[in-house]
Amino acid sequence: MSQTINCEGVKKLLGAWWDGELGGDEAGVVREHLELCPSCRSEAEKLERLHNSIREALKERAGEIRFDVFWAGLEKRIEEKRPWWARLADWANPAFGLGRIGWAISLAVILAIGVLSLPDSYRAWFFGSNRGRTRIESIDAHGFNVAVFREAQTRTTVIWLFSDEESNDEAQEESDSENLTL
Amino acid sequence: MMKLKKNLIRKILLFSLWSVLIAASGVVQAGQADGPKSIQLKIGTILASNEGKNFDPRLSAMKSQLNVFKYQSYQLLKEEAKVVLWKGNAAFEIPGGRSLTVTPQEYRDNRISLKVRLMKGDQSFLDTVVRLRNGGRFLLGGPAHETGVLILSIGASTR
Amino acid sequence: MESSDQDLVDRCREGDQSAFRELAARYYQKVFMVALGILNHREDAQEVAQEAFFKAYTKIKGFHGRSSFYTWIYRIAVNLSLDVQRHRKRNPIEQTEAADPIEGEADRSSSEPYNDLCNQKLREEIFQAIDELRPEHRAVMTLRVLEGLSYKEIGRVLGCPEGTVMSRLHYARKQLQEKLGPWL
Repeated sequence: MSQTINCEGVKKLLGAWWDGELGGDEAGVVREHLELCPSCRSEAEKLERLHNSIREALKERAGEIRFDVFWAGLEKRIEEKRPWWARLADWANPAFGLGRIGWAISLAVILAIGVLSLPDSYRAWFFGSNRGRTRIESIDAHGFNVAVFREAQTRTTVIWLFSDEESNDEAQEESDSENLTL
Repeated sequence: MMKLKKNLIRKILLFSLWSVLIAASGVVQAGQADGPKSIQLKIGTILASNEGKNFDPRLSAMKSQLNVFKYQSYQLLKEEAKVVLWKGNAAFEIPGGRSLTVTPQEYRDNRISLKVRLMKGDQSFLDTVVRLRNGGRFLLGGPAHETGVLILSIGASTR
Repeated sequence: MESSDQDLVDRCREGDQSAFRELAARYYQKVFMVALGILNHREDAQEVAQEAFFKAYTKIKGFHGRSSFYTWIYRIAVNLSLDVQRHRKRNPIEQTEAADPIEGEADRSSSEPYNDLCNQKLREEIFQAIDELRPEHRAVMTLRVLEGLSYKEIGRVLGCPEGTVMSRLHYARKQLQEKLGPWL
């Protein structure tokens, strides 16, 4: 038992034994040796005093660390690193109290108002382009024939008035021979 | 207490911001409906005929539009521009004893609404309301003149 | 019922700062002590401890629970402390704390000033001896002596095998005993 390990061997294992890291058999051997060997026992006691002294010295140096102070410093650090828009959202959210859905609805309303307020040329981006197209809102030819058509290539709106019989005949010849869309 | 006060101030600031945003968009809308104070009208009187093959170089900007009609010859008889106030009338003399009266009605979304009346003497033979893009134009054609027909190019833009 | 570390971590990953506060409350002292054991300087240790938690906060989404939270935060704190320590070595004008007045007081009512003086002297010697240890030896000593971590846990924190932990501890103890032997 204790003959299986000498003092040199025990001293090498003393730290691990003290830390409880030795396996059952090995730990037993060291324990038995310590019971019988005053020199090694003294080493073990020194090790204990070393640990205690270091622990006490560092704890004294540490002093009291108040969590509220620690957290205040940490929280400040976290806050400083957040992007400005996240901080603005945090600031606004508790006061506004709408939550995400509330914000989404409000923003949708504002966006809708904004889009509807845009000039036609920009609104075309959203609703599809109707640019350049002239609209005939009402027409009264007072009994005369009239044709309204749009030239495809240049998108020009044309109102063609058939004001007398001669013009009617001309218009008839033209519409027979040409591709005019009515 | 301090927290409540802070919250209240935040609420007030945020609601003020929302109100300003909504009011601003309303102002933009209203501003657009009111529009400019006056409109410039440009009327071009063109004689289209099959006599000869002449294309008036002054009409080159409208060549692709006039080609629709397939006449052989196009001649710019006259061109007039007038500034008119909203709801005010602008009268143009058209060859053949005719007259054209244009009255701007409304300006909205960058489009101008025009009331157009074509008369011969005292007889009106066309009344139409046309909405066209600011700076755009449309063509009104058909009345006989000399050996061809008249085509009126009617354009409007804001000042 | 107290939430487990994993529950708190999960809540942190969803942006719950109060959960992170609770984690910080659980481990801030331990992390501070680890940093102090390596750096041997109170203010630096506080700075490192805060930095360690700050880093954990920013990287919490990438923490997948392969190790426990405390192993992870210790690892961050140890690495930061070692970085600071290496930086000090490159810039030797930075001093560790000298024999500072002891905070968290010794027994002032002691009627044995000689004992007080001896204790104070012992502490000075301890700090001096710690200062003379290499950073990686300080790290294992701190984690073992102050935090009571097993060799396996220390190995996980430091990213080294248990055998390395054992040999470093053995070496550190030997150095300290040689320096402090007369005082113990």
